[in-house]
Amino acid sequence: MKEVNYKSQNSKFKSQILILLNFAFFILICAFCIVREADAHKVNIYAYAEDGMIHSESYFVDGTKCKNSLIEVFDEKQGTRLLEGKTDDNGKFSFKIPKVASLKLVLHASMGHQNEYTLGEDEVREAMGGRQRPGESKETAKSSSQPAKISVKTGKEGLVSKEAASVGRGMSESEVEAVMERVIDRKLKPVMGILVKLREDSEKPGLTEIIGGIGYIVGLMGIAMYLKSRRKAIGTRHEAKGER
Amino acid sequence: MHISEGVLSAPVLVAGALLTVGGTAWGLKKMDYEKIPEVAVLSSAFFVASLIHVPVGPSSVHLILNGLVGLLLGWMAFPSILVALALQALLFQFGGFTSLGVNTFNMAAPAVIAYYLFNLPVRRGNHLLSIVCGFAAGAIGVGTGALLVALALVSTGESFFHIAELVVFVHLPVMVIEGIITAFCVVFLKRVKPEILEVGR
Repeated sequence: MKEVNYKSQNSKFKSQILILLNFAFFILICAFCIVREADAHKVNIYAYAEDGMIHSESYFVDGTKCKNSLIEVFDEKQGTRLLEGKTDDNGKFSFKIPKVASLKLVLHASMGHQNEYTLGEDEVREAMGGRQRPGESKETAKSSSQPAKISVKTGKEGLVSKEAASVGRGMSESEVEAVMERVIDRKLKPVMGILVKLREDSEKPGLTEIIGGIGYIVGLMGIAMYLKSRRKAIGTRHEAKGER
Repeated sequence: MHISEGVLSAPVLVAGALLTVGGTAWGLKKMDYEKIPEVAVLSSAFFVASLIHVPVGPSSVHLILNGLVGLLLGWMAFPSILVALALQALLFQFGGFTSLGVNTFNMAAPAVIAYYLFNLPVRRGNHLLSIVCGFAAGAIGVGTGALLVALALVSTGESFFHIAELVVFVHLPVMVIEGIITAFCVVFLKRVKPEILEVGR
């Protein structure tokens, strides 16, 4: 009699689990459907240095831009705050490089969202490169541009200097460098855009993460049921002994 | 509504963590063997719900489902939501591990409130009352959650009314959507499997 009762309870429990499993499948199917729409609560900030400026882009994981959000810029090593500004309607914020150091950009989006991005000192210095060589003060940079002008003059006069000769058309090394930099910057602009987009996409949670997470939950459920079932088994064993 | 790492001050984080530990312990104590699969399934639902987003104004919000979780689980919403949020922090980088306690409390406390207010009328009431209470549970779960988030953010120096206005306003559409989803689920479950609404003990 007791056993029959146990069996009926068992089958009832089984049907309950079956229904729950169906529910779980439903959720999984939902997960498949929405994975393209994946989004939500995380903000990202990405920045790159270029031509004496730093450009930053801020967006939520779903790609929505962070509009009108505060960005603070810190000197990473010294921890001093250098400047702050707000993003525009496209989530962009650009500013002149305040100093050659590794810069930390902290984004404060609405409702407790925050993230940061650090630009390495090398990258910042590289972006200043067109105006200021590493290790040189501004004055020396100016003075070094002086002989360049002279060499151009001499080139016009027909007295071809060694520098100009090596370049070919009477342009000094620094001038060629400047032109090259401009061209490369122009060519790289779309590539930078693609990189930002790629980064945006890679931050979105994918199907792997979703299924992995559900797997973890099922595993935890198994552990919890195992622990409880052992306790239950021990309990019934004690009861049986007591009956005897 | 996940608060990121490094936004809140230490006292708020510690308070949130302690409240969550307490709620989770109580929830685990109430958890029967037969209820475990349900807790896990609702944990999965909560885990996935944040990926369904609703674009609103300057921010983006997502479904939460804490009203539904609370209605079906009562205090067991705490362990269920804790697991889901921990996995979201780990796999999606939503929120963070230091703010896990606060985030769990912000979502699970409204769930428990929804349980105490609406579980009984949903079970005992007629069809219409079930629908209304289901809707209210879903909406209040989100609404109270938004208020708690605003309260937690006051400690960062933002004025409560400003931030509360923003958070609640942004979540109004979500409240409506969740109300409809919760009402639908409750009515469906009541017809198909009414005992699932009994939280037991």
